[in-house]
Amino acid sequence: MDFAFTEEQEFFKKIITDTVDKMVVPKAREIDEKDEFPWELWKDFTRLGYLGLRYPEEIGGMNADPVTAMIFYEQIARGSVGFAQSVIMNILMGTYFVYRFGSDTIKERCLYPAMRGEKVTTMCFTEDQSGSDLAATRTTAVKDGSEWIINGTKMWITNGPVADFATVLATTDLSLGAKGLNFFLVEKGTPGFSPGQVLDKLGCRGTVTGELVFDDVRIPEENLLGAELNKGIEYLGEILDEVRVMTGAMAMGIAQAAYNEGLEYARKRIAFGKPIGNYQLIRAKFADMATEMEASRLLIYSAAWKMKEKLPSRIEAAMAKMFATETCCKVVDEVTRIWGANGFANEYNPQRHFRDARFLLYGGGTHEILKDFMGRLLIGKA
Amino acid sequence: MNIVVLIKQVPDPEALVEIAASGKDLNIEPKFAINLFDEFAIEEALRLKEKHGGTVKVICLGGPKAIEALRTAIAMGADEAALIEDGSFAARDGYDTALVLSGALKKETFDIILCGRQAIDADRGEVPQMVAEFLGLPHVGVIVKLDIADGKATAESALEGVPEVVEVGLPAIFTAQKGLNEPRVPLITGVMKAMKVQIPRFTLEDLGVPKDVQPKTTILRYLPRKKRPAVQFIEGEPAQAAAEIVRVLVDVERVI
Amino acid sequence: MDFSLTKEQKFFKGQISRALQRIVAPFADAIDVSDVFPRELFRELGALGYYGIRYPSDIGGMGADCISFTILAEELARASIGFAAIVTMQCLMGTDFIYRFGNDEQKKKYLIPAIKGDKIGTIAFTEPDCGSDLGGIRTRAVKNERGYILTGRKLWITDGDVADFVTVAATTDPGKRLGGIGFFLVEKGTPGFSTGQKIEKISARGAATMELIFDECQVPATSLMGEEGKGAKYLNDILSEIRIMIAGLGLGLAKIAFVAGLNYARQREAFGKPIGKFQLIQEKLAEMEVRIKAAEFLTYHAAWLKDKGSLTGKEAAMAKFYSTETACYVVDEVSRIHGAYGLAQEYPAQRYFRDGRFLLFGGGTSEILKTIIAKDTMKRSDFEIN
Repeated sequence: MDFAFTEEQEFFKKIITDTVDKMVVPKAREIDEKDEFPWELWKDFTRLGYLGLRYPEEIGGMNADPVTAMIFYEQIARGSVGFAQSVIMNILMGTYFVYRFGSDTIKERCLYPAMRGEKVTTMCFTEDQSGSDLAATRTTAVKDGSEWIINGTKMWITNGPVADFATVLATTDLSLGAKGLNFFLVEKGTPGFSPGQVLDKLGCRGTVTGELVFDDVRIPEENLLGAELNKGIEYLGEILDEVRVMTGAMAMGIAQAAYNEGLEYARKRIAFGKPIGNYQLIRAKFADMATEMEASRLLIYSAAWKMKEKLPSRIEAAMAKMFATETCCKVVDEVTRIWGANGFANEYNPQRHFRDARFLLYGGGTHEILKDFMGRLLIGKA
Repeated sequence: MNIVVLIKQVPDPEALVEIAASGKDLNIEPKFAINLFDEFAIEEALRLKEKHGGTVKVICLGGPKAIEALRTAIAMGADEAALIEDGSFAARDGYDTALVLSGALKKETFDIILCGRQAIDADRGEVPQMVAEFLGLPHVGVIVKLDIADGKATAESALEGVPEVVEVGLPAIFTAQKGLNEPRVPLITGVMKAMKVQIPRFTLEDLGVPKDVQPKTTILRYLPRKKRPAVQFIEGEPAQAAAEIVRVLVDVERVI
Repeated sequence: MDFSLTKEQKFFKGQISRALQRIVAPFADAIDVSDVFPRELFRELGALGYYGIRYPSDIGGMGADCISFTILAEELARASIGFAAIVTMQCLMGTDFIYRFGNDEQKKKYLIPAIKGDKIGTIAFTEPDCGSDLGGIRTRAVKNERGYILTGRKLWITDGDVADFVTVAATTDPGKRLGGIGFFLVEKGTPGFSTGQKIEKISARGAATMELIFDECQVPATSLMGEEGKGAKYLNDILSEIRIMIAGLGLGLAKIAFVAGLNYARQREAFGKPIGKFQLIQEKLAEMEVRIKAAEFLTYHAAWLKDKGSLTGKEAAMAKFYSTETACYVVDEVSRIHGAYGLAQEYPAQRYFRDGRFLLFGGGTSEILKTIIAKDTMKRSDFEIN
């Protein structure tokens, strides 16, 4: 068992850490305060080429393995969650099905520009009445000759208000539940497709999130992203583990950012004549945080390694996501406590990490859903 | 145009530093980084190459960990890199280091040698000048501007008070000061190249340089840094800021 | 052992609950979003007479017991934490020193109007470098022939921007630390006393927390509340009451958040049924309810001990610590029950989540309180219900 990153991975980690420190960290507060898509940072950062992280070199990507990818996700989230969410949408969920099933012309129009940062993309599952319960999806896709007609409203769509194209989950048959689901490509400018209400959120501000409305949107046949009809859920399974482990990695990025703030304060804040880091209760907090973060990272990277080796990773990915997220929520809580009242002052960062961590609780699956699903698998058919 | 950049891997500015019990050594948290001023040197070399063509080679004297610093230079765009691997590099002082480096440089062809003005750990700023002496080359220090034309260099030195513009023939050594340029952030293509590249390592024997450490200086003792109190920034228009400073000094700190 | 409220207490609870739900609760979001002192509401509630709850009826107060005051705190928190912070300050810390030590003129000028809601009072002890460590405050009070000169800076002062009078902790002898502290009554507009920056925060918005600046501020000798050097003791005299009050705030927040979570669990459907029918959601509801109940008992037991006259600092510390931690636990779980809606500004779950944080510090951080509890425990070993 080798628990170390390879020299290559260590180097990559150093570069991306430095890059994030230089380009993203200084903008994090502003992104959170303005709560607008950070176009300038997007242009500067995407120019470096990281949006192609997971795709083959032949099409301009980096062909990063899952372990290397997790290193990236952790660092970008550490820099700014508001920015990170938009970036990872382009890196994975928003482009995957286009990459997997899109025709050459579709790839030319959508995938490659998205990899270059010239187009912003997104993935649409959630609706007002269906979050965890995908089978309750009500956005429909009806075949009409050589076209599909999409109708419905999607909610909580990251990048929704600014997306140039979207991968949309829709059902061809409401009575089939999960078995009727498919992914469709819808591009900006298609009549009937429009952004709706933008959501004002507690955390992940800077990531513009909103409604997307599909009103008799007609798309050509080839925009069905799938080799066969009604296999959407199965195809989703191809990236589900990665999405979950990625969420865990992001949790560690946020936790690390908060943890570093906690360290700084514990070292310099004086009370009763000495830095508060001298007191047992404060020391205990760091011990707990560091231990759980270490355990979280081991779960994340071991799940990523299993994915890399093409070993089964469904349970491990869910474990990594849950454990890392719970750890992150604990860390951001403790850090605001270490900072005392300053922990909820807008002027300082701990309150931002505290707010940003919340999305982790449901992104990639709520813990209640994951526990039920994991328990079911572990116990077997009861 | 062949450019050689000399770099040093130093402790990360955020690394924790403690004086060892003996007082003669430091315990430094093992986090490393490329010396800040060397980044300006690498960036300048890359810009010169982009303008005039040629190659950029980066050389580092250090332990095995220093490979990472060289990889970073490659990621930025350097064509070649070489590690002079020496387990005793930390025991060498400026003179000794300069001796080793100039031994290595004797085997290179170059028009320009670029260095950082000083390493942020030792803060001596003496190696490039000694290398220049050993190699019999002119040198211009703490430059904030460098132009090359017709085999000659025009460099602007940032001296205190008045900048000095120097014209010098090539080859020559230049040391980079902050303000010379803004080091680029590596593109992913550079990063990918750097991750895969094999960086050659040389021992002192390979270079024909004497192995023994021959420092001219010895460190007697490290003394703890005087505790600097927190800095409070006073902002605002000059008149306001002045009034605020007076208020702080008189009322809050009660020193006047 | 009788665990029920008296008839009077029940009636009081009904009255105050109805009043606050009608007058204040509808504005909770607006107070939070604007972060501006809600003058109209403050005046409206003042007219009902609640600010004198702890003071005798002959000065316009209610002469109510600690249990009743705790009920008030709980109901205030249920309506709006920001508003609750303002009102509890008015009822207790902001006015108590004048009540105990003020002369007739001061009581007439500040206490009586404060009880009516015509003047706003606050207390100032925290400084930029001193929170938990009260003994380390640096605001100086130097005696002169006209009284005292106050110099220093305070931070995190509730209502600092609107307060008409402030009870300020200053030291006449820094070397004595806690033993050098005195409290001084300073009126808004006194030359040398000004407000500085406002701290923008995510929690308890509406109760502005300000910087106060004392720049060679001359105050008369009568502004000293009680005696020099006894300030820490005076604060200690009301510290347990403050802690029980904050425990009450925690209870109110926990309960209102719990109800929001419960309603969501009943109404949100997934996989064909309300999510409240799933075991994991049920587990959350059960955990929350039990903890709230435990917090309630700890809090009202401490209040009851106070009314009986046998309260020690330990019970008050336990009540505050447990109740506020429970509130934070509940608002976390409730935001999880809400799924992504726990993040949406249009639902109150995110406000409850943010408001919980402020409760963790006022009255002592959980860490400090645990050391207080343990210190006492180390001296004793009994677990009798007293």
